Amino acid sequence: MFPLSFNPAQPEITDLIVHHDPATLERLPVSKNQVLDTFATFRDHQALAAVRAIPARDAVLDPQAVDRLMLTVHWEMQRLAEEFFHGQRIYELLNVVLNAMQANSMQRPLRVVDVGCGIGYAIRWLAARTPLASQGVELLGVDLNANLIREATRLAAAENLPCRFLQGDAFSAQHAGHIYLSTGVLHHFRGHAFHYLLRRHDLPDTAAFLHYDFRPWALAPLGSWFFHILRMRTAIARHDGVLSTARAYTGEILAASSRNALQDFSSGIYGANIWGTPLPRVFHTLVGMRRNLLPAFRAGLGLRAIRLGEMV
Amino acid sequence: MTLLILYSLASLDGLLCGCRTSMGRCPLIRLRPYYARAIVRGFVAAQMASAIAAFALACVVLFTPHRRELVVDLQSAARRMLWIFLPYAAAVLSALTLRLLPSTDIRSASSVFLLGPLTAIRPFLMFAGALFGIYSARLWETRLLGLIVLTLMLSIEAVLNRLATDRQSLQISSLV
Repeated sequence: MFPLSFNPAQPEITDLIVHHDPATLERLPVSKNQVLDTFATFRDHQALAAVRAIPARDAVLDPQAVDRLMLTVHWEMQRLAEEFFHGQRIYELLNVVLNAMQANSMQRPLRVVDVGCGIGYAIRWLAARTPLASQGVELLGVDLNANLIREATRLAAAENLPCRFLQGDAFSAQHAGHIYLSTGVLHHFRGHAFHYLLRRHDLPDTAAFLHYDFRPWALAPLGSWFFHILRMRTAIARHDGVLSTARAYTGEILAASSRNALQDFSSGIYGANIWGTPLPRVFHTLVGMRRNLLPAFRAGLGLRAIRLGEMV
Repeated sequence: MTLLILYSLASLDGLLCGCRTSMGRCPLIRLRPYYARAIVRGFVAAQMASAIAAFALACVVLFTPHRRELVVDLQSAARRMLWIFLPYAAAVLSALTLRLLPSTDIRSASSVFLLGPLTAIRPFLMFAGALFGIYSARLWETRLLGLIVLTLMLSIEAVLNRLATDRQSLQISSLV
């Protein structure tokens, strides 16, 4: 039934069942009991049932079973992106940012990095459906999870797409991007980790970022629950999908945190509502860019400028 | 004519079931060939279900002692079913038509607000349509055939889903 008890303070299942050392990128063993204890604290019976179903060896979650599950979940989650035409939505905004950069004499090649890319839907879509790669835009997906990166690489190769995927730190010197993207990633970072994530965008070459996440509002968990019951098959996708909408940050928090963390950037929310009405969109976008890009960005949006909130 | 319309609706339903049960199981970007195959699978499943229904119908008609009365009763039940199934099919096709519009917002909204709820009510609507059709039937043979058709219609999605799940599990096992 509808999980009214979802507490936004709790983690999602996928946050806990896979761990990689961020420094060495090594896969770390995950204690099944520890994960169960975490969800027991929140009395999240749906999560407890989903985690209990994952096989374990010597009380450690079976890495192969977890990897298979993660692929199933990510394949399924891609459906959400397809149904919401997420690729088109990213391209619509990214293209305006790229044009604004060009208008400010930023020469190509430019690198677009998808942070926490998973199986790389956004980057692969941009590579398959847009001319960006042939126009001097390098498309790179970065994630800590080696299994998801392997899958993203396999899928890109299967369709001969001009993009790359790497396991690692998206903000490290070797992977640093001119533009950062993400989808459904921001709400996974809480407290100081969220502030630190935003601060890390302040790199010498980084000019802009577009972070897409669920837009929270009163009926979002109910709508998400209905959508996931109908469209998703795995217990984990159903659980985490609904919890995400409860954990997602409001536009006000996103914009204020970004302004606080990145004083050399203008930040604001794009696409909070539908066509200037009070109707909320499923996703909104935290947009940030170097201040000199803002006039060209606004001009490039044209009629869509109505979707852009206050940029400070 | 009524039977032909019912057959067409069953084929359309099978085709959409094929598509629905394949969604979220292929992570490529260029999905047209994948969905084309899925649609063909759904169509074939619907043909098999229709063939079983036609066989059951032929058997009953062949062995019933009141053949003419049964045909009239069956036609009348089938016509009543159409009162439920035709508006539903029209609603589904209208929602699908909206997806041809070049607006990402309208296309997404058609999925969330129309196709989603229409998918959710499908099993209930199948029950309602079949029961409405056979409720006032005079012969037990008509009721039996109505229930057989209902079972077949509901099984199409379950069977296709099972097959798609098995295919996906095999594929993922080969990857990890």
